[in-house]
Amino acid sequence: MKQECVEEEVAFLSKKILELNKQLMESENAKSKFLSLVANELNNPMTVILRMIEHLKIVEDESNRKTFELICEEVLNLDFRIQNLMSAAEIESGDIHPSHELVSLEEIIEEVLKTLRYLIDNKNAQVVVANRVDKKVVLDSQKLFIILRNLLSNAALYGSQNERIELETMLEGDFLVLRVTNEGEGPDIEYKPQIFTRFAKAPKAESGLGVGLSIVRELALYFGGTIDYEVCQGSVVFTVKLLLDAAAEDSVACGSNEFFFDSFDDAIEL
Amino acid sequence: MILSSATFIHVGQIHVDRAPGAISTVLGSCVSVCLFDPRLQLGAMNHYLLPFWNGNGLQSPKFGNIAIPKLIEAMLQHGASLQTMQAKLFGGASMHSLGGKSMMIGEKNVLVAREILQEYNIQIVAEDTGGQYGRKIQMDLERGKVLLKYTSSAQTEG
Repeated sequence: MKQECVEEEVAFLSKKILELNKQLMESENAKSKFLSLVANELNNPMTVILRMIEHLKIVEDESNRKTFELICEEVLNLDFRIQNLMSAAEIESGDIHPSHELVSLEEIIEEVLKTLRYLIDNKNAQVVVANRVDKKVVLDSQKLFIILRNLLSNAALYGSQNERIELETMLEGDFLVLRVTNEGEGPDIEYKPQIFTRFAKAPKAESGLGVGLSIVRELALYFGGTIDYEVCQGSVVFTVKLLLDAAAEDSVACGSNEFFFDSFDDAIEL
Repeated sequence: MILSSATFIHVGQIHVDRAPGAISTVLGSCVSVCLFDPRLQLGAMNHYLLPFWNGNGLQSPKFGNIAIPKLIEAMLQHGASLQTMQAKLFGGASMHSLGGKSMMIGEKNVLVAREILQEYNIQIVAEDTGGQYGRKIQMDLERGKVLLKYTSSAQTEG
């Protein structure tokens, strides 16, 4: 009898939450629609620009060369923002396709730093990389790239001038741990829930769309991982953990491989 | 029959496909809503972890009240109609290993599916939910049938 009462209560409360949630979703749905629309509208011309820019020839002139470099950097910067919007829209549409590749962390870090060179130079920041993962790992390289790029670009963007940014990577059990430390005040711990929400950013932040960390969190969770940050004595530490084992076996939702590869021979049909 | 061409979906994914394709997943306290339009031999499956989005983070289809409307929308976009669409419901087990019983996550996941499907007037033609065992399901779009097997232990995640 008691069990039934509890179940009825849960059913009632669940309905109530569903109703309330609907109002919340209606106001948020506009954001979702806008996100996917904008992402696609921006991405197409961007792709063309990225392709065409390679074919531009520079008339040998120092000031021309500088202008051209600046344009290239800004185009890459813009592309990064658009790629972030695309990722957010993909996650929200349930259209994420995991891929599992043998990746070298060193190469990915190098690639990320290359694309952030302008930002880092601008802040006159010094990036110190301590990569303690000497073997290749099985992961989705593109998603790892997005995670690392967001963490490092945030560190450069929100950190102080002439700062030192540290990137540490290591293996802890089944997890790949990425730790980014930078000098600066960082987002207040009390804003923790908001920081990982889209279109929200640190109250004092001047630029950025506020989607980066929400993407990093979703991607980390997608790989059975976590993200967290700490602020102490003038530095901010972001730590992302990604589960390697699950990614390797391509069976996050499955406890036993025997079961996973089992046939449907004597299955129930509904 | 085992279909090697089946697309496996994880938590937070939505997949739409046509015959002769197949979509499969593994469920614990998670729930999958399978939609099928026999007229087009078109089907779609989601896989969600929790009943409600809490307003934080991205509106990802890890949450029932996001994943089900998006699933229906995806079917409509591919030409299905609400009149001919049928739903099947799976998962929502009470996984003791995850402390699921006390939170009744599985039950809530099933409830939210029933509510939303009713709202859209989509009939639930088959379901296998609750219990203590995980499930492996495969939706065969050629025949519009879902094959189901239970896990041998109560250890399955998702």
